[in-house]
Amino acid sequence: MIVLAQAEVSGPPIDWAALAPVIALTTAACVVLLVGLARAPFVRIRVVPVLAALGLAVTIGLCVWQWGENESVVSGALAMDDLTRALTVLFCLAGMGTVALSWRSAAAVEAGEGEYYALLLSSVLGMLILVAAQNFVALFLGFELLSIPLYVLCATHMRREHSLESGLKYLIIGSVGSATLLYGLALIYGATGSTDFAGVAAAVSELGSDALLFAGLALVVAGLAFKASVAPFHQWTPDVYEGAPTPVTAFMAVATKAAAFGVLLRLFDVALIGAVSTWGPALAALAAVTIVVGNVGAIGQSSLKRMLAYSSVAQAGYMLAGVVVSTRLGIQATVFYLGAYLVMNLAAFAVIVARERETGAGDDISSLYGLGADRPWLAWPITIAMLSLAGFPATAGFFGKLFLIEAAVDNEYAWLGVAIVLGSALSLVYYLRVIAAVWMRSPSEAVALASGRVGGGGGASRPAMAGGSPEADAEGGRPRGDGSTEGEDVGARAAVPARRADGDEVAVGDGGGRGARASGARVRQPEVALVAVLCAVVTIALGIYPDPLFDVARDAGAAIASLV
Amino acid sequence: MTIHLSILLFWPLALAVLGAVVPRRVAPLCALVGSLVPLGYVVVMLLDFEAGARGLQYLTDDEWIPDLGISYKLGVDGLNLWLVALTSLLFAASALWLTFRPPARASQFALHFGIAETAVLGAFLAQDLGVFVLFFDLMLVPFYFLVGIWGGPERVAAAVKMVVYTLVGSLLMLAAAGATAVLAARGEGELSFAFSDLAARPLPESTQKWLFVAFGLAFLIKMPAFPFHGWMPDAYRAMPLPALAVFSGVVSKVAAYGFLRIALPFFPEAAQDFQTILMVLAVLSILYGSVMAFTQTNARLILGYSSIAQLGFITLGIFAVDGAGAGAQGALLQAVNHGLVVAPMFFVVALLAERAGGAEDIRDMGGIAFRAPVLAGLFLVATLATLAMPGSANFVGEFLILLGVFEESMTFAFLASLGVVLAAVYALRMYIRTMHNRTGPAVTSFELSLRDGMVLVPLVLAIVAFALYPQGALTHSEPAVEAVMAPALQAGAGGPQAAEAAP
Amino acid sequence: MTTAAWIVLLAPLLGSLYIALSSKTLSSRTHGWIGTAAVAASFVASVVTLIALEGRGEEERQVVSTAWEYAVTAGLDAQLSILIDPLSVLMICVVSGVSTLIHLYSVGYMASDRGYSRFFAYLNFFVFSMLLLVLAANFVLLIVGWAFVGAASYFLISFWYRRTTASAAGIKAFVINVAGDVGLVLGTFFILRETGSVDFLATFEAVPEAFGRNDGDLVAGCILLLVGAFAKSAQVPLHTWLPDAMEGPTPVSALIHAATMVTAGVYLIARMHPLFEQAPAAADVGAIIGCMTMLIAATIGLVVTDLKRVIAYSTMSQIGYMVMAVSSAAYAAGMFHLMTHAFFKALLFMAAGSVIAALAGSQDLDRMSGFRRAMPFTFGCMVIGGLALSGVPPFSGFFSKDEILSLLIARDDWHIVLGVLGYVGALLTAIYTFRMIFRAFGGEPGEEARALEEGHLFHAAQPTNPASGEVEDTDVGFPGPDHHIAEREGTMKVAMGALAVLATVGGLVQVPKVNELLHGFLEPTFAESRFYEELEPSGTLVVVGLLVGAAVGVLGIFIAYVLWVKQPARPAAIRARLGPLHHVFSRKWYFDEAIGLLLVRPGAWLGRFAGSVIERGLVNGVFVGGTSSAVRAASAAVRGVQTGYLRYYAALLLVGLTGLGAYFLVST
Repeated sequence: MIVLAQAEVSGPPIDWAALAPVIALTTAACVVLLVGLARAPFVRIRVVPVLAALGLAVTIGLCVWQWGENESVVSGALAMDDLTRALTVLFCLAGMGTVALSWRSAAAVEAGEGEYYALLLSSVLGMLILVAAQNFVALFLGFELLSIPLYVLCATHMRREHSLESGLKYLIIGSVGSATLLYGLALIYGATGSTDFAGVAAAVSELGSDALLFAGLALVVAGLAFKASVAPFHQWTPDVYEGAPTPVTAFMAVATKAAAFGVLLRLFDVALIGAVSTWGPALAALAAVTIVVGNVGAIGQSSLKRMLAYSSVAQAGYMLAGVVVSTRLGIQATVFYLGAYLVMNLAAFAVIVARERETGAGDDISSLYGLGADRPWLAWPITIAMLSLAGFPATAGFFGKLFLIEAAVDNEYAWLGVAIVLGSALSLVYYLRVIAAVWMRSPSEAVALASGRVGGGGGASRPAMAGGSPEADAEGGRPRGDGSTEGEDVGARAAVPARRADGDEVAVGDGGGRGARASGARVRQPEVALVAVLCAVVTIALGIYPDPLFDVARDAGAAIASLV
Repeated sequence: MTIHLSILLFWPLALAVLGAVVPRRVAPLCALVGSLVPLGYVVVMLLDFEAGARGLQYLTDDEWIPDLGISYKLGVDGLNLWLVALTSLLFAASALWLTFRPPARASQFALHFGIAETAVLGAFLAQDLGVFVLFFDLMLVPFYFLVGIWGGPERVAAAVKMVVYTLVGSLLMLAAAGATAVLAARGEGELSFAFSDLAARPLPESTQKWLFVAFGLAFLIKMPAFPFHGWMPDAYRAMPLPALAVFSGVVSKVAAYGFLRIALPFFPEAAQDFQTILMVLAVLSILYGSVMAFTQTNARLILGYSSIAQLGFITLGIFAVDGAGAGAQGALLQAVNHGLVVAPMFFVVALLAERAGGAEDIRDMGGIAFRAPVLAGLFLVATLATLAMPGSANFVGEFLILLGVFEESMTFAFLASLGVVLAAVYALRMYIRTMHNRTGPAVTSFELSLRDGMVLVPLVLAIVAFALYPQGALTHSEPAVEAVMAPALQAGAGGPQAAEAAP
Repeated sequence: MTTAAWIVLLAPLLGSLYIALSSKTLSSRTHGWIGTAAVAASFVASVVTLIALEGRGEEERQVVSTAWEYAVTAGLDAQLSILIDPLSVLMICVVSGVSTLIHLYSVGYMASDRGYSRFFAYLNFFVFSMLLLVLAANFVLLIVGWAFVGAASYFLISFWYRRTTASAAGIKAFVINVAGDVGLVLGTFFILRETGSVDFLATFEAVPEAFGRNDGDLVAGCILLLVGAFAKSAQVPLHTWLPDAMEGPTPVSALIHAATMVTAGVYLIARMHPLFEQAPAAADVGAIIGCMTMLIAATIGLVVTDLKRVIAYSTMSQIGYMVMAVSSAAYAAGMFHLMTHAFFKALLFMAAGSVIAALAGSQDLDRMSGFRRAMPFTFGCMVIGGLALSGVPPFSGFFSKDEILSLLIARDDWHIVLGVLGYVGALLTAIYTFRMIFRAFGGEPGEEARALEEGHLFHAAQPTNPASGEVEDTDVGFPGPDHHIAEREGTMKVAMGALAVLATVGGLVQVPKVNELLHGFLEPTFAESRFYEELEPSGTLVVVGLLVGAAVGVLGIFIAYVLWVKQPARPAAIRARLGPLHHVFSRKWYFDEAIGLLLVRPGAWLGRFAGSVIERGLVNGVFVGGTSSAVRAASAAVRGVQTGYLRYYAALLLVGLTGLGAYFLVST
């Protein structure tokens, strides 16, 4: 009490109520860490995750409760407005999803539940700070607070050298990114003489074209492009996604992306809006490149996580378009897309997690073979997720794309709209492959594939560092495994097993594949299935009645006053 | 009386979903009810429809997604009335066929089947561009599964090829649709996809051009028209026949309908600019499709390429843009006719394959007529209708199309009429090679079963009824056609493009 | 009256439907009688209509009756309506009359055929179509009937559908006829565009205002109509299907390919006379083509050795006369010849049929000889028909042909040439007709003839298709194993007898200068014609014409007698001397070869080309293959960069960074 009193005197005026979400997360992190020290396995394995989820839930509750109050706190360092809250809700939902997926994962156990969940929570906290940041210092603070826990989380699956490798890779590249960003911020500060966005914005608008400022811009763009995995700064993504424990991958794919775009919106559409004529085209070009690279990259992959990694690159490209147009419509579109992206991606990852535990095939696409015949509760979610990612109608993804297109066209970026749709046309090739694997292949094929593999493709044996990616093996001169060859020619690849399948009725035959080895022994993991089904349902629901998410997006967009 | 289009639209979907959850025994029943009830409903609508009246009837207009400017707007007029009827009829026939010949995992098949019906109906009923695009793209999903899961050899490859190829066009259309609404709303107020608003908000010609190209591409690929039919042969080879019957029967018509409903009224100047190009493509489709059709030996592909030719006629009629609107009238009638004719043909192919030991190659057939006179008779009627024999409604359709084209450009009319002769060649060739001549080695001919008769006979009767009284359809469609053609005609009268069409 | 006219149409249609639907339930003989009854009813109704029409005044003899609107939209006014006027009534009387007799004949002739019911269903359907064609009151309905008869003819040509040759002949006939239909359609467009109506009477009203004399559009339209007429009436060069059509059962040849359908072209030109008189150029084309066909067919008829094909070519040739006539404004004469020809040509075919039956399906003249004693009745009919065809007085052909020729000469311009050629044709006609008769019936009785004289019927051990030599599939009937006709069947005799009478006296309805019944009867239809009344041969011309005609006919018969009875060696010698000429004739002037070379082969080649080059190269190659390989290459590139080695990532990172930096610095 007295301490607080003193604080009131010394420190700046702090609106504790508005800060409630931050506080909630911090407390949750600490509590989880402490409880994690407990001996009783029940406490560690059951109570800790529940507490973590609880913390996230509380945060969500607070955000919802405070909805509509836009105020900047801590003397303008943080803006607790609807954009922040909207994104925070996304982070927390992603976090809760991750908690559910980690429930039985080896990673949490190996790392020690306490640390694992504490890191998760602090990463969420970092995201919150990042998207709320109103000046460079807070921004960088959040940036690091979000990144460092993730580096560790990636490596938590210590028994798999992939995990370590990906952690290390992420650490190195991530820190390069942070450095670039920091440098860029410094330069901009040098150019504008201000660190808080409002000041920068004012300076930029009168500064016009200034070498120092633009150099800083370039570095900032690059630095944030890392986090958002925008090409050509995306290369860590596939390796890290593949290596990291799948729940963590899911978290990164969803939450980190959201955070990165949140800060992009804040930084570019608020602080640097004055220089939009300069960075607009650059980001647009980046978006186009990203869309192409992500989509064509994904086509070759047989590791689902790699495939989703590339797809997340492509999706980053789509969302970047929303940032580029730098209108309120653009922000709304981006936020909406982030929301849709969250549910559809979580659904996909949930199914992958489930199958990883059931089959020996790891995250290889063959782990899904024959799913449709006997596992509707897993088959439909991933199917819906893929359709939604591909932007098919009656799914959230459809309206997301349409919204982005409208935003783009509205601000004279019609060609970006075309780029988006062409990109999604490309993306069909690999999304449909997944659906084909689920519904149109029989487990027996998977067996055949596995036996046919040279040097085991299923992600079992790959050298560390040398190359955490099948591609590296190729460079190493060794057969690439069918990891990426199988993907290379969709037609041929799809054709061959299809013929094989027609021989035995298993392919079409009513649930014939049931119990075949590749379809895997059922593992009881209701929470995973629950996540998958919930997300799938939401995906469809938003595809039919997207209004709620639109309202959120509208409020979030309204938070940024500087735009039309 | 009041007809609720939403019931018509979502009934099949609802029943299909129901069928997926109820026990296996009743599942087929659900599918059947799911498609028979809409048929009955449509029949009521046909009787109730006020012929000759302008504007939409049974209009449903609710707010749906204001942020995107999409409103849930359905309506029926002369343009889509008969196409909706055709859709429900063909789906009902196919559903009946499926109840008699349940495929593996019938309930799942029925699910996709129901989604397909709802999607197609939605595309026809939509009075809002957003809704139209949504259903237009949605149509593909169920057929992807139908091909991929229940298809023949190479099914997965064929399915992927079909979806990717056609969606390239459809997604371009998605972009164009968004652009249309946004650009049309410029300075006009609220963003809106509603056809009525778009019609009231003309776009500058330069904008129209690229939008028209995007839409045109989508439709031409969907039809398919030469040279965008690359996906067709594989898809047709692999698709299960009951699905193929509706696919070839109605899905391709959505594209033709799209030209009439969207491309012409909203981008009239562009339509005039591209008129010649499209007519050339149409004529090429006619000739190319016909020539290919009489070189094929796979019965499915003969029908597939013949459909290319038929849709060439339809496109040609639409873009004749003649003063009296004969071309468009004929095109619309022909769209219904072709669907009505091609679907039974595919069922017949299935029956022939049964009698030819599973072979679908006409070289393995022959002499089937001998023990199956009734089947032969039904097949013959369908065949003669296919080749637009005078006396069939198809003839009236082609007559009107050619008349319209003739008014616009004599050259195109003469070239197109070559297609009529070629049609006689490939259609009769198929009939004779399967039904006549010596009995093929693997052929064991037997008469049409009662159950198959229940599927085929009504369709053939419908063909005959249309042949006797095509006027019925024409009176319904006349005002609507005039309405959609009006802008393009004005544009033609205004610009020099009208002359350009007649080389 | 209109009701009667509609009954004319409906009776055969209902007959056809009933037979088709009841084919399982009733015994086949009944079907034969039902079919015959239906057509007979239609004939009665026709006569009733005729009387009713005569009962009306000169002016009201063109009646239109509409059932319902067929396609009335967008500048098209097609009603489902029939036109009753002298021309159409004459036609329906002839058609239904002859059809009745031929149905009667078929009741016996097809008795042993497995497809008996099917046959009568088709036959009735044909009669319906033909009557529809004749009664149609507008172009659209005319085209419908036009196509229906084409279809019916296709059904019946490939009636024995297990015969590959029959199927081939069928599709050939159908396709050529469709080409004709297209001609009609396009022709209609030309006329519709100017007159704004497809209704006959309205069109004829409008023609004088709409078109100037020899107006380009009108001529084009009329020539396109002629294409339709030629395709249907087997005029050069669209005639090649008719000889092949002899694959069908003989009654079919008698009804469709002699008496009725093939004369539709003549009817069409007569019906369209207001157009043709406004476009004389087109009419002249018609006249010249008719003349050419007349001569070409006659020459081929001289050398063909297939009994039915001889008669088929003679049919072509005779229709040539009619086309010549109606294109030269000798309408009444043309229709007159149409009628008489229907009588005697049907008769000839029936007789031929009975001979062919005696030969168990073989139609080869070389195998026939000496049937006169074996089948006296058939012989008699054949001779009567032959005399009528050769134009020997007082048989019907004599009057009708000579009226045509005298009118041609009476035109008193270049048409005189046609007239003279007409007499040449008459000479050839007489020669080939009696060549046929002498070869089939004269000479020593052959194996079959003797078998027949001894009272039992020849049976081939194993029935084979004379055309291709393949073994007959007797499942679908003729020539079935239990095949025993020839002239035994009563119904056949009745029909042949009746026609023989008509062929003999049929010419008396229109004896020049004596009683010109037909001319007077048709007058209302051709009321506004420029020539109908004016064109009137002088008395002397008529007399001379008749004399010359008779002389020519007799001369021809005499020549034939000399060649094939007196000195049987002679023909061979002549053939040897005129080798090339004979070759041209016997190869039918190479029309089939020409068509194959000009149309069929290029078409097939085009198909192969499209399939191999365009489909593979463009449609799949460029669009599908090109795109997918491009994408594949791109993805390979992306994965190539994705080495997994951090140093490479760093490198790319630097590249990207420099790129951005460069951009931003440049843009300052």
